[in-house]
Amino acid sequence: MSAAVRFRASAEGVAGLAILALLGLVALLAPVLHPGDPLDIVGAPLTRPFTVLATPLGTDWLGRDVLAMIVHGARTSLTVGLAAAFVAISIGVAVGTLAGLFGRWVDETLMRVTDAFQTIPGFLLALAFVSTVGPSLATVVFAIALGAWTGPARLVRAEVLSIRERDFVAAARVVGMHPLAIAVREVLPHALPPVVSLAAVIVAGAILTEAALSFLGLGDPNRATWGGLIAEGRSVLRSAPFLSIWPGLALVVTVLGVHLAGEGVVAALALRRSGP
Amino acid sequence: MNDVGSIRGGSWSRRALLAGGAAFAGAATWPRSLLAQTPRSGGRLVVAADSEPRNLNPAIVASNGVFFVSSKIVEPLAEAAFETPDGLSPRLALSWKGSPDGLSATFALRPNVTWHDGKPFTSADVAFSAMEVWKKLQNLGRLVFADLEAVDTPDPLTAVFRFSKPTPFQLIRNALPALTAVLPKHLYEGTDINANKANAAPIGTGPFRWGESRPGEYTRLVRNPTYWSPGQPLLDEIIYRVLPDRAAAAGALESGEIQLAAFSMVPLADLGRIAAVPGLAVVTRGYEALTYQLVVEINHRKPELSDPRVRRAISHAIDRDFVVRTVFLGFAATSSGPVPRNDPQFHDATAQVPSFDPARANALLDEAGFRRGANGVRFKLRLLPAPFFNETRQFGSYLRQALAAVGIDAELVNNDTAAHLKAVYTDHAFDLAVGSPVYRGDPAISTTILVQGGLPAGVPFSNQGGFRSAELDAVIAQAATTIDDAQRTALYRDFQRLVVTDLPLINVAEWGFTTVASNKVRNAANNPRWAVSNWADLWLAP
Amino acid sequence: MNRAFVLVRRRLLGAVPVLAIVVVGTFALLESAPGDAVDAYLGTTGGDRGLVDQLRRDWGLDQGPLQRLGLYLAALARLDLGWSVAFSRPVLDVILERLPNTLLLMGSAVALAFGLGSLLGVVAGSRPGGPADRILSIGSLALYAVPGFWLGLVLIVVFAVQLRWLPSGGIETIASGKQGLARAGDIARHLVLPVAALGILYLALYLRMMRAGMVEVWRQDFARAAFARGLPHRHIVWRHVARNALLPLVTMLGLQAATMLGGSVVIESVFAVPGLGRLAHEAVAQRDTPLLLGIILVGAVLVIAVNLAVDIAYAALDPRVGAGQETSA
Repeated sequence: MSAAVRFRASAEGVAGLAILALLGLVALLAPVLHPGDPLDIVGAPLTRPFTVLATPLGTDWLGRDVLAMIVHGARTSLTVGLAAAFVAISIGVAVGTLAGLFGRWVDETLMRVTDAFQTIPGFLLALAFVSTVGPSLATVVFAIALGAWTGPARLVRAEVLSIRERDFVAAARVVGMHPLAIAVREVLPHALPPVVSLAAVIVAGAILTEAALSFLGLGDPNRATWGGLIAEGRSVLRSAPFLSIWPGLALVVTVLGVHLAGEGVVAALALRRSGP
Repeated sequence: MNDVGSIRGGSWSRRALLAGGAAFAGAATWPRSLLAQTPRSGGRLVVAADSEPRNLNPAIVASNGVFFVSSKIVEPLAEAAFETPDGLSPRLALSWKGSPDGLSATFALRPNVTWHDGKPFTSADVAFSAMEVWKKLQNLGRLVFADLEAVDTPDPLTAVFRFSKPTPFQLIRNALPALTAVLPKHLYEGTDINANKANAAPIGTGPFRWGESRPGEYTRLVRNPTYWSPGQPLLDEIIYRVLPDRAAAAGALESGEIQLAAFSMVPLADLGRIAAVPGLAVVTRGYEALTYQLVVEINHRKPELSDPRVRRAISHAIDRDFVVRTVFLGFAATSSGPVPRNDPQFHDATAQVPSFDPARANALLDEAGFRRGANGVRFKLRLLPAPFFNETRQFGSYLRQALAAVGIDAELVNNDTAAHLKAVYTDHAFDLAVGSPVYRGDPAISTTILVQGGLPAGVPFSNQGGFRSAELDAVIAQAATTIDDAQRTALYRDFQRLVVTDLPLINVAEWGFTTVASNKVRNAANNPRWAVSNWADLWLAP
Repeated sequence: MNRAFVLVRRRLLGAVPVLAIVVVGTFALLESAPGDAVDAYLGTTGGDRGLVDQLRRDWGLDQGPLQRLGLYLAALARLDLGWSVAFSRPVLDVILERLPNTLLLMGSAVALAFGLGSLLGVVAGSRPGGPADRILSIGSLALYAVPGFWLGLVLIVVFAVQLRWLPSGGIETIASGKQGLARAGDIARHLVLPVAALGILYLALYLRMMRAGMVEVWRQDFARAAFARGLPHRHIVWRHVARNALLPLVTMLGLQAATMLGGSVVIESVFAVPGLGRLAHEAVAQRDTPLLLGIILVGAVLVIAVNLAVDIAYAALDPRVGAGQETSA
């Protein structure tokens, strides 16, 4: 069975992919669906949902369109989720490969640093980083990645350790290939699949962390964010619960989609069942 | 645009209340209905607190966060009042008088007052507090009492302040409620005042004594049985429950866990609903002397912003009525200039900041040579809203949109308090900032400093925008040493006219706070600094 | 026992460089932040230039960063966590005041997540593909996607505001004067909602891990053999399958200790619980470097201790793990 077939056979994977495709489409088309700045004040404050045609999901307490903010918020959430996961995995792969390949003091040093990062709560680190550097999309992405790279690093290191003694690597070493070339051409392609299966968890975690940061007022103020919307709705939770409920549901659906798709990926890679 | 002429006479908050809509009709009538009953003593009042200042010494830290708790324990010489000629009512001083040459001021002190530890209160305490604490250590007193040379104590109940330069008594008078908390000399003399244990557990002469504090949970004050005013205080204890989250206060009020939330701890957007809850009332009185101003601070070092036409254009781009209606939901008034409308003593209605007129704004920007580019943008700038209030941040969002409408692309930069202060007041790393200075009853206390030239970097809440006008500085300097009330007032009117013409900063709105209280709480909001006054007459109906 | 001792020593010695990296890294982060403790303090008071300079002198901020780091490390070597400028008290006092609340919150959340999560995981994993499994799998996946802070808000609206069954925040009724059992009951009532909000995500995680682990074990020979021997289903599930599937969960417990401490920052803020997480938030806002360092150090020690306990438990549960080999957890 090819990976694609196995993915299609997994009901979770298909459902997850469908959700993510829909969300991706919404995020991509946000400027078409709701042109202009979603943070513009367009109507009366706190309009209830389903009462005004122009703002079908209601308005927040400044009179901004909740639907527009949710649609544009999808962009922020997905961008941050994917970018943070990419940065985290890149750092993780780099650190893990170096540690696994070079061993000795390089390994020892890198693993102590990894330990250090693993002992600090990732969210606390992100919180401290964003509050001190100042909230913007880039700092939020980097802050989340700071707390998420240790998992991939350990995984890749373990894989590299197991692969580097295998024949084809030894052969490459014998013919005098540069260690970095060995890492990139021979070791990484074999070490990456398990990391890919970890990606879903990292993306989901990143989306939730971004929401939590925005919820604490540490989101990029120039962008609509779901967490920020929930935080804003929090103080009028009684008079306008919809303000927190819509973005909360959007978050749940997105993270659910990511997890489901992740299950599909695991099935496709057939990691546990018939893996290498 | 700014047609709020009806607000003169110091009662904008009452009008703002009415503007808040019919939902608040019950709230508006509530305070009157209370006067019918006879006060009852006893009971515990639980109040929401959003922060826990570690230093509760109001003589060192003159700020509303500290006063909120410490004003019940440590008293000033006089408190603000609604109906007296000079706007003051006696506390530790019974009367006050300035000399015609402005070189001295005499205070007659209240007899038979004892500190919470039983020692008698005398003029020596006042002299010590003034010379060693207000003048040397206090955030505001260092400025107002800079020229204080000595305090003479001819007898235990008389204190004579002597100044090295003529000092307007009007200023001293206006500073009495906020700047003159008196400390017990016997506990502070010869110690490191900043590190004194009594700063965390204050000892004063007030109606309540320090009880205990559970950090993160509550602070408890208990009745002072030997208070100088017979029969007071009426409450047995006051508990400040720490609710750092503004959303929590409304819930706690509704479930009866707390009886009072001051300083707008219940968000404005939730007031409409909470006013309809039986047993709760929304009150906007009691903050008249604690007016906050919403201002746009400008970095004049940015070439575009150094052009007065651009500054006028920005002022024309702001719809102040819309800001009051939307950001403040009616609980504010539009600003006409640097002195708020509710200060009848100094406010000059003829000074009017350029009002909403986007067409004029566009024309001015064109005239200044900043034409729209292909994307409709004239120039870009950084906008730093202060993190102090929801409203400062929300106005930041509004201003970004308002500026976009006239072709200025503003990027919002949100910082926390420390980073904001550093960026704006030390590093000058901003183009526009949204600030919320407090007006403290006299322009000389903390308003002129917002526009005065030549201040060193690193002074928070001062002119750090690089603006300098010889004319304005001359008026400020002259007013600082003018003794005659009428002349001094006239100078501050000139000051207002200069500010709205040169626009070193742009005033947008001014607001007080709201209180939400159980209607069992009686005698609330009965002076213009009520939330930070001593609450000796506050009582709880059964 | 000897083996456990070696393990403890290894772990503790290994912790020293880790803690050193943590301290220096955190210090550097706060040092690079715009604005210091004086800026944060002046936000509520204002003050003139002389006051600003005086405060910087009084709080030791007029010295260079390296000098201050040196002083801090020297004090730390004497187990002195320093002085909190935001609270004007020793850092250790401030932390010890809040630590019990956080431990209570996290401990209860772990107990809930681990206990109930693994139990439901056994239910789901006892008959993979059965109706109970399907419902629990889908349910846990949905719960796994719910942000804790949002769940907290929903719980407050439903149980504290609408139904008024439980308090909306705090750790106990303030100044109630309750003692003994009455006080414990009061605290428990206050903990229900925050523990649920913090624990649900981990509950779903443990449920899913337990189930997946059991599915794995079912495939192994000994489980099939037990089945073939005709042992009762219930017996096989508990004695053989669940027991073997439990080990990865124990590892996870250690891995999640730090994550949960991070999660409690938001939950403590939603429920106004005076704990370490909220304190850390305040420390950052106040630029109180010694306090934040203290919290992160205490947190790191906590995490290291949990992992040590996990390692010991693991060694006790699984004889294959010796002190000689490193567990990758």
